[in-house]
Amino acid sequence: MACFRAQFEGNNEVGVFSKLTNSYCLTAIGQSENFYSLFESELGDSIPVVHASIASCSIIGRLCVGNKHGLLVPITCSDPELQHLRNSLPDSVKVQRVDEKLSALGNVICCNDYLALAHPDLDKETEEIVKDTLKVEVFRQTIAGHPLVGSYCQFNNKGGLVHSKTNKLALNELSSLLQVPLVAGTVNRGSDIIGGGLAVNDWSAFCGLTTTAPELSVIEGVFKLNVHPVPIMGAKMRATIVDSIS
Amino acid sequence: MTQYNFKQLPIVPNAKDFIDIVLSKTHRKTPTVVHRHFKISRIRHFYMRKVKFTQQNYHDKLQQIVDAFPKLDAVHPFYSDLMNVLYDRDHYKIALGQLNKAKHLVDNLARDYTRLLKYADSLYRCKQLKIAALGRMSTLMKRQTKSLEYLEQVRQHLSRLPSIDPNTRTIIISGFPNVGKSSFINKVTRADVDVQPYAFTTKSLFVGHMDYEYLRWQVIDTPGLLDQTLDHRSTIEMQAITALIHLRAGILYIMDLSEQCGHTLEEQLKLFRNIQPVFKGKPLIICLNKMDVLRPEDLSQEKQEVLNTLREEGLTLIAMSTLTEEGVMEVRREICDLLLAERVDYKMQGKRAGDILNRLYVAMPQMRNDKERPPCIPQSVLDRRARQKDGEVEIRPKKKLLREIEQEEREEYACDLRQHWKLDNDEEKYDFIPEVWNGHNVYDFVDPDILQQLENLEREEGMREQSGFYNSDSDMEDDTSRENHILAEKIRDKRNILIQERRVRKSSSNKSKLPDAVMRKARSKSARRSTTPGIRGEDAMDTGRSLSTGAARSRSRSMPRNEEGVMNPVVKKAANKRAKRNIRNMTRRVHTAGEADRRIVVKRPKHLLAGKSKMGKSWRR
Repeated sequence: MACFRAQFEGNNEVGVFSKLTNSYCLTAIGQSENFYSLFESELGDSIPVVHASIASCSIIGRLCVGNKHGLLVPITCSDPELQHLRNSLPDSVKVQRVDEKLSALGNVICCNDYLALAHPDLDKETEEIVKDTLKVEVFRQTIAGHPLVGSYCQFNNKGGLVHSKTNKLALNELSSLLQVPLVAGTVNRGSDIIGGGLAVNDWSAFCGLTTTAPELSVIEGVFKLNVHPVPIMGAKMRATIVDSIS
Repeated sequence: MTQYNFKQLPIVPNAKDFIDIVLSKTHRKTPTVVHRHFKISRIRHFYMRKVKFTQQNYHDKLQQIVDAFPKLDAVHPFYSDLMNVLYDRDHYKIALGQLNKAKHLVDNLARDYTRLLKYADSLYRCKQLKIAALGRMSTLMKRQTKSLEYLEQVRQHLSRLPSIDPNTRTIIISGFPNVGKSSFINKVTRADVDVQPYAFTTKSLFVGHMDYEYLRWQVIDTPGLLDQTLDHRSTIEMQAITALIHLRAGILYIMDLSEQCGHTLEEQLKLFRNIQPVFKGKPLIICLNKMDVLRPEDLSQEKQEVLNTLREEGLTLIAMSTLTEEGVMEVRREICDLLLAERVDYKMQGKRAGDILNRLYVAMPQMRNDKERPPCIPQSVLDRRARQKDGEVEIRPKKKLLREIEQEEREEYACDLRQHWKLDNDEEKYDFIPEVWNGHNVYDFVDPDILQQLENLEREEGMREQSGFYNSDSDMEDDTSRENHILAEKIRDKRNILIQERRVRKSSSNKSKLPDAVMRKARSKSARRSTTPGIRGEDAMDTGRSLSTGAARSRSRSMPRNEEGVMNPVVKKAANKRAKRNIRNMTRRVHTAGEADRRIVVKRPKHLLAGKSKMGKSWRR
């Protein structure tokens, strides 16, 4: 079991209140430590789990973007917050502030350790910074017609989940761009906002409390989180998924 | 999708309560005081309001009841039929219809009486009309006693019905009484249905839920059926039939091979044939229960053959025992798989199949280049997963979580953000760094390389010292340079002295800065002076501001302003007089009475003072 259900102060959008990568994990500062401690208990012995806020907001997952190599925060991030991030994260992680008009970087950029998808209207300079800091190739794309790629998809180095209305052609194209298997699906009982509802790295995933069992099994399959490898979607699983879609 | 929840229906009061509620509300919420001598329009309005208010309340309450109860034509056919079976469709519709009719009658009544009230000519008549109106409304409601009582019973029964979702994955268990239907549902779900060794223990539908293949399944336990024609069936049996007919579900027909239920195998088969039409098009499994008593293999030859004919028809027969749980899970798996396959088929034929297909598709990437993109998993995680793979039960060293600390400390707990900071010098962790200092954003001046640069400088300096950069000039001295040094020393001393002298001069003239008007004068003076040779005009203008023209004067020599420039007391007196006269007009204007001042317009009012005073004293006036 490597996919966990969580809630941040009664909110199921886990990906909004946390940023999970292969070398660090950021969680929002809340009223209680329940949310933090779930991450801490699962990841604490392998990567740093850090409380963070950006521009005094708790929606850090939507405001920043990062991977193993670095972290990009928007210009609204204050100096002490930036200092806190720099002091807390390992030295191998480069923390960089980006002056970008589309300041919710987590919504407009989605990346793993090698590749990134970006909003078509992203600044050229920002794209360069993303390339340099995160050490990724950047592709400007939309997902199922939505330019907010970070909100509607989520992928790690092994697989990815995208908006449920993405058709087969687009799936193939995206998959070839990202070089990982992709599946169209939902989280949080039918929510298409994958990036908001799901936080994932190469060995664990966190989703909202309302995520159904079929959704959970798809997530575990496509992100290859299981210790014992299973096919991404077996025949029985397909039947289950069809029947669970109302 | 419609959710069927009959638990929130409003309570239906009986007729007496209904009347009490409405009339007391009228009394509470309308004015109660009216008098004979009021204007007649006011009196009429008073009573009209009472009548209308009462009518509105009856109307609202009746409407609420009529709206809240489920409409038999609008709900799912299963519920519609179930309600027909339980409460009788006609009776139900008539009861609701009568309430609706009563509502209209109340409305008409109120309209008539308000019309009459318009012509009432006294309070008494108005009141009589009001009493008549409310009385007739109450009589109307009294006639609804039966309907209201019936609807209250229906409401109570409805709210206790199990919440069955007609559209979800459902498995229905049916069969003769006492064959083990309730035992089966108790085994596969957490429903706690009463199981007793007599027939018709289960008198209504029961619902349990179970999980299979990541999905939630609804299992319905039905009352036992007897082998009789449809019109002879009792209400209890009809509930089972309704469920079987209307729900698109997987069906388990349970048979008792041991015949302990009191019905022979033939009878049970006859019942099966009897109700077989309702199974058409639904996944069906015949469960041969109580195999702990009698296994199917041990049956007599003719009974075996009967079962074989069933098998030849393409029906699935599975033996099970709800006592030993043998075969129970197999039955569950079979029926679920059958139902799931059927539901998937149905869905894939539907219009929305295209929307679903993309969800089942796994897009595999085509290699773009030869670049390797391996996952980045830390070694500690890999080790742990390897251990898990070997089936090792993982016992992690128990580290205290922040949550536990928070629970222990309660109110004292405060999130410590700096706890996990990784600094070269751990003592600096809790150093206070102000965000803004002396109006400067501190972080703008942070130089991350400052230590590095300092080190470089020190190293350079050390190298210079080592190479003798500093002690070389002592031997290279010559006369000119020494003279130069001495001269420079003198110049420096002289300059220092000059600076200090100037400072002393400056500080001794402790002059205040003058207002602009004075300064302007002073400047123009100095400009005039600058026309004299020797002083450049521009320089004088430049220094004009900083120069104070007022002469240094000790406080003891200063005089009051009114005595300044006055030669003798005579002049002083005249000057004072003149000054006073000058401001007289102004002060006078200040003393004129304004709008807000108290003023007595007539000092001696005639009405108080004229005429003869007889008794009493004049001060009373």
